[in-house]
Amino acid sequence: MRLTRRRFLVAGAGAISAAACDGAPRSELELDVRRWLGKPTAPPLPPSLTAPAGTTLDPVSHALNRFTFGPRPGDYARVAALGVSAFLEQQLAPQRLDDRLCERVIRHECESLADPESSLWPRRGEAGDPLQQLFPALKDRGGRVGELYEYKEKVLLDELTRATVLRAVLSERQLFEVMVQFWTDHFNIDPSKAECKWLKVADDRDVIRAHALGNFRDLLRASAVSPAMLWYLDGRVNRRMRAGDKPNENYARELLELHTLGVHGGYTQQDVIEVARCLTGWTVRDRKRTFKGRVEFNPRQHDDGPKRVLGNLIPAGLGAADLDRVLAILVAHPGTARHLAWKLCRRFIADEPPEAAVRATAAAFTAAQGDIPATLRALFATPEFSAPAVRGRKFKRPFHFVVSALRATNAETDAQRPLTEFLVRLGHAPFRYATPDGYPEEATHWQSTLLWRWNFAAALAANRIRGTRIEPDDLVRRAGGETTLGALVLGRQPTPDEAAAGGASGAGLALLLASPAFQYS
Amino acid sequence: MPAQALITGQPEARRTLVVVFLRGAADGLALVPPVADDHYYRARPRLGISAREAIRLDDRFGLHPQLRPLEPAWRDGDLAIVHACGIEDDTRSHFEAQDLMEHGGLVAGGWLGRFLRTRPAAGSGALTCVALGKALPECLLGAPAVTVMENFDAFAIGGEVPAFRSQLERLYAMERGQLGTAARDTFDALVRIEAMRTTVYRPEHDARYGRDDFATGLSQIARLIKAGVGLEAASIDLPGWDSHFAQQGQVETLAARLAAGLEAFRRDLGARMATTTVVVMTEFGRTVEENTSFGTDHGRGAAMLVLGGGVRGGRLHGAWRGLSPDVLERRGVLDGYGDLPVLNNYRNVLAPVLARHGADDPALQSVFPGFALTPLPLFG
Repeated sequence: MRLTRRRFLVAGAGAISAAACDGAPRSELELDVRRWLGKPTAPPLPPSLTAPAGTTLDPVSHALNRFTFGPRPGDYARVAALGVSAFLEQQLAPQRLDDRLCERVIRHECESLADPESSLWPRRGEAGDPLQQLFPALKDRGGRVGELYEYKEKVLLDELTRATVLRAVLSERQLFEVMVQFWTDHFNIDPSKAECKWLKVADDRDVIRAHALGNFRDLLRASAVSPAMLWYLDGRVNRRMRAGDKPNENYARELLELHTLGVHGGYTQQDVIEVARCLTGWTVRDRKRTFKGRVEFNPRQHDDGPKRVLGNLIPAGLGAADLDRVLAILVAHPGTARHLAWKLCRRFIADEPPEAAVRATAAAFTAAQGDIPATLRALFATPEFSAPAVRGRKFKRPFHFVVSALRATNAETDAQRPLTEFLVRLGHAPFRYATPDGYPEEATHWQSTLLWRWNFAAALAANRIRGTRIEPDDLVRRAGGETTLGALVLGRQPTPDEAAAGGASGAGLALLLASPAFQYS
Repeated sequence: MPAQALITGQPEARRTLVVVFLRGAADGLALVPPVADDHYYRARPRLGISAREAIRLDDRFGLHPQLRPLEPAWRDGDLAIVHACGIEDDTRSHFEAQDLMEHGGLVAGGWLGRFLRTRPAAGSGALTCVALGKALPECLLGAPAVTVMENFDAFAIGGEVPAFRSQLERLYAMERGQLGTAARDTFDALVRIEAMRTTVYRPEHDARYGRDDFATGLSQIARLIKAGVGLEAASIDLPGWDSHFAQQGQVETLAARLAAGLEAFRRDLGARMATTTVVVMTEFGRTVEENTSFGTDHGRGAAMLVLGGGVRGGRLHGAWRGLSPDVLERRGVLDGYGDLPVLNNYRNVLAPVLARHGADDPALQSVFPGFALTPLPLFG
């Protein structure tokens, strides 16, 4: 028999797998070989797994439920040993967490996202780069954004979607990924609109991921001049060429209603008009021009008269600086603190967030001048967050459900179509929400998705999703039995009914993942 | 809302919209030839459908002979046609034109997805919207929940383990509140789907579906409608219309498939057609003038069909100005012949259809933002 190259590699990979002893971290070489073969990877499991002993969710399980997209089999013991507050501090400083496995996978799988200048990648020498001195346009985001147009738009959306799933599943920076999703909804952009097809990739990189655990002020500023946002909410055509031209209010309205103050945040229609006037002249070069995707301020299209925004006078003649004036007013406004605090508490505590927690979180946001980690620290410190009554009562949105199931089973996945198709059926595929309000958060929107949750649970447990693989026997063996595995998946000991149903179903793991309890975090 | 309506809707009040997209730019001047217009035969000396071959519709138009199965619907007043339809943009790229038409302009998401978001029950069931095929069509982007399926096997639950479902029912029976209700409704819908999966379908009223994908897809849509699972919208494609070369046989085959599929669907549904509407659309039409290789190239205006209950059918709606050279839209500097101009924006065909399916004026504005609608009076 002729030994083909592929067979040779398979044989080699087998040998390396066999060589890796039980429980020891896989070598980088083995991971590389597996990637060459198109095999996804999952982090190694500890030789034995310790499960929560309680019959209700303890603070460790609660923290894992809310700070992450669901615990992996080894997480409970690790966080219990570390302590919840130390775990939170680790998660609030994501750049210090070793995330090589995830980064390698993304680099390997998603070429279009591999931006050497992104904050989560090693930076190329910036200052003094002679090429950039000669061509300053290369230095600004326009140059980096322009490269995206070299990809077919379907490739970009596909890689961005897969990367979002892979990072949620694999990254050690879990709270960062949770916040990336939070801000992606908060500053929602649907890539199906015009050139957002290309530009959402830059928005994900330069706006959402660059600032997800940074300062809200910087996040808002980056979003305001994000080329994708300028397309999505028509900021690029908000201009005043001659007296009598009406500004395009689309972005200004959503900036007030969704991004900052909230719909009852105390602004008027006149404020919308005035904000729109302040932002006239900001535009983005379309793909028919050189430096496509570059954001520019065009003074001749700017309304340079005086404006009044939320009671603050913005004098005439400031030009491009109007933008920063407006954003400073909005970030400092108590309505913004309250609106963001309410949304964060809704995400992390309950669909109807307790008023005391909202107030404490808003106060922290104001005191920390928009620092996101400080705000979250205050939120997680409220007694409302830890109250036993809210634990395990937050209905997972479909993305959270799917990712938490993959994590709980230590699944290897390539996040290709057979997997992401489930997210489409569940109505929660990343970057598929048309309107600027982002995917809804509350349980009522998602409770009708049970059929496909059950189907997903059954398909995953039986290894019927192409490109996604779990090893149930290995999990049971390491856990030391089905009941312990059940406790690892649910974050508490299974109830007698759950245990009995699992046994009687003949598909214990599928039943656990499909059970009512696993639909909640 | 009663529990049952949450997941399945109220079947008796539910209307179903079926969108058929003819991908590749179907030749409206072959499907609905202007048989009384000399300019037509001058531009298409070899490909023109003669008045003798065509099925006579009125003084100006005929129907392609292969569309004969649609003649009864036309005679019964259930089929309306709008000619010279299309988008306002003059792109002649299939991809770009399909995107513009399916999104409803330079907007995010698809028009059908946005419409479904305005529907109170659309997000509530596993089966309110079904896309037949392998991938989600652009018009359904942003829909609250879509099932993309090639067949009913997609609905198998729990794989090969029968006890999985009964034990699941046992756990969810203990759930109170909305989740428990949603679970019970889901189990109920599953029973109906399984009945469909496990039985051979017998169409009613002697309807005969062909074996092609289009007919098979339509028969599955008909089954879902009859099962009362709350289907609000379905989409299905009939591809292959890009007839640059020797188009006669190509158009004949596809026209026959289109007409046979729709005829079987209409016959099968019978009285249920009263609450069903089928819209047939394509991204743009083809050149008025035939090319030297017996084909036609990318043009502008095309024909749309609207079939169903309440349609003011048996007539052509919208503007038509004939094919005289002064009417045609210039294609380029050197081209002698122009294209059939778009006289009827596709949104003005879709808007009255969506109104029939429950969209009020604010809803229509949100479905087609930034466009001043003047809906055609397709329903009476």
